[in-house]
Amino acid sequence: MNQATSKVVDSGPMDVEGTGTGRSAKPDGPRFWQQVVLLVRRDLAVEAATREASATVPPLILAGLLLAGLGFELPPESLAVLAPGLVWLLVLTAAVPLARSLLAAERDDDAWDLLRALTSPSALLAGKATTLCLLLWLAWGFGGVLALALLEAQWSVAAVLAAAVAMPGVAVNVTVYGVLMAEQRRPALLTTLVLTAGLPALVAGSQVAATEQTGPWFVLLGVYDLVAIVTAWAVFPTLLDT
Amino acid sequence: MGLSPEKHRHRSIRPGLGTLALVAMAVALALGLVVAPAEAIQGQAQRLMYVHVPAAWTAFAAFALVLVASVAVLMRRHPRWDARAQAAAELGVGMTALAIVEGSLWGHTAWGVWWTWDARLVTTAVLLLLYLGYLGVRGLPGDRVHVSRRAAVVGVVGFVQVPVVHFSVLWWRTLHQPPTLLQPTASPPISPLMLTALLAAVVAFMLGGAWFLRRRVAQLVPVEPSPSADHADTGPVPVVVTRGAS
Repeated sequence: MNQATSKVVDSGPMDVEGTGTGRSAKPDGPRFWQQVVLLVRRDLAVEAATREASATVPPLILAGLLLAGLGFELPPESLAVLAPGLVWLLVLTAAVPLARSLLAAERDDDAWDLLRALTSPSALLAGKATTLCLLLWLAWGFGGVLALALLEAQWSVAAVLAAAVAMPGVAVNVTVYGVLMAEQRRPALLTTLVLTAGLPALVAGSQVAATEQTGPWFVLLGVYDLVAIVTAWAVFPTLLDT
Repeated sequence: MGLSPEKHRHRSIRPGLGTLALVAMAVALALGLVVAPAEAIQGQAQRLMYVHVPAAWTAFAAFALVLVASVAVLMRRHPRWDARAQAAAELGVGMTALAIVEGSLWGHTAWGVWWTWDARLVTTAVLLLLYLGYLGVRGLPGDRVHVSRRAAVVGVVGFVQVPVVHFSVLWWRTLHQPPTLLQPTASPPISPLMLTALLAAVVAFMLGGAWFLRRRVAQLVPVEPSPSADHADTGPVPVVVTRGAS
């Protein structure tokens, strides 16, 4: 068991009932948020120890932008127009390996069942999705800076806000699909599910960067977040039982 | 000698639905090909609408059924709902593919291209991919109950794309025309004869879809052994050891 995982699995506060019997905790009041914070801290500690996302996602985004710039053979002004959608596409593509590594530490340490037993499904979903959301924000920020430097992209405040608003919905969907496909060796199937699930974020995020009337696109992103969170919250307990 | 459960189930499918669907198809064909006039600008190619639009609507209805059946699978865990979800997804995928092919044929005559990067076309293709992914999840190895519940999760989470496809022609400035019938005006801008042919085709497709669903669900639902079969099967009795609660 790696150090980061063992530290959290051994820590008492996850078992908020204090019974030590592994009963599922109830997601009410501050206990729910305590669990979420612990999960996020734990996942970030695992990431700091393994550097799995930070070692794989930036090269993937850099490669995507470089190859797009080279392969499309477009004039700079056309590449600048293309950049927002390209960054979104690369972030969604980067979400696939992130989804595959969502439960990797727990699987390696054989701690997934223990984690499920000690944590409420809602807290588990919120914790995993929050970590993923943070990583996706970083990935989008990295892609945005690269697009600014390499493709002369023009980022507006609205485009950055759109990324901030869209990412929770994307993260929740990717979390659901990551858990769903955790034991399956079908990366292409996971890619199909993740890319299609991110369609509203892709189109709305790109359109906000390209148009002046951004209001309806923010409404779409808000609805997307809401629907994604509610449906994921409803189905996640069932998913954990399978 | 009685019928086997499989044969009995096929016999129990109402033959009236298939007949009704066939009659409706014949009426729709007559109305669409003979009675309805050719469109003034597009000519005969416009008649593809009598297949394209009903196929798309049937696909939407099928995906809505996938959602309902998936929720039922998660709540009631009955294999019949699981079979309905799978059958509806297969129907939806087939109808979406048909709508895309028909749209492409029409697009080649009207726009001069087989495919264009239009919002409705792209979102519809993504919808097709999503439900192909759903069927892919159904094909995963593992315990049947677990697989069906995982697929149900995809059926619920994935449905969010359906409204995106429907509203895409309103949200974007697209080549694809906005909804003709489903728009908030008193009278749709379409000739009464064309409207009649279109609605007849929609009815025919819906009936044909319902017939397909019945047949497919009957195929997919696992055969439950009859009481007499239980008595007849005198194979080795499994020994079940239950561990006491700790």
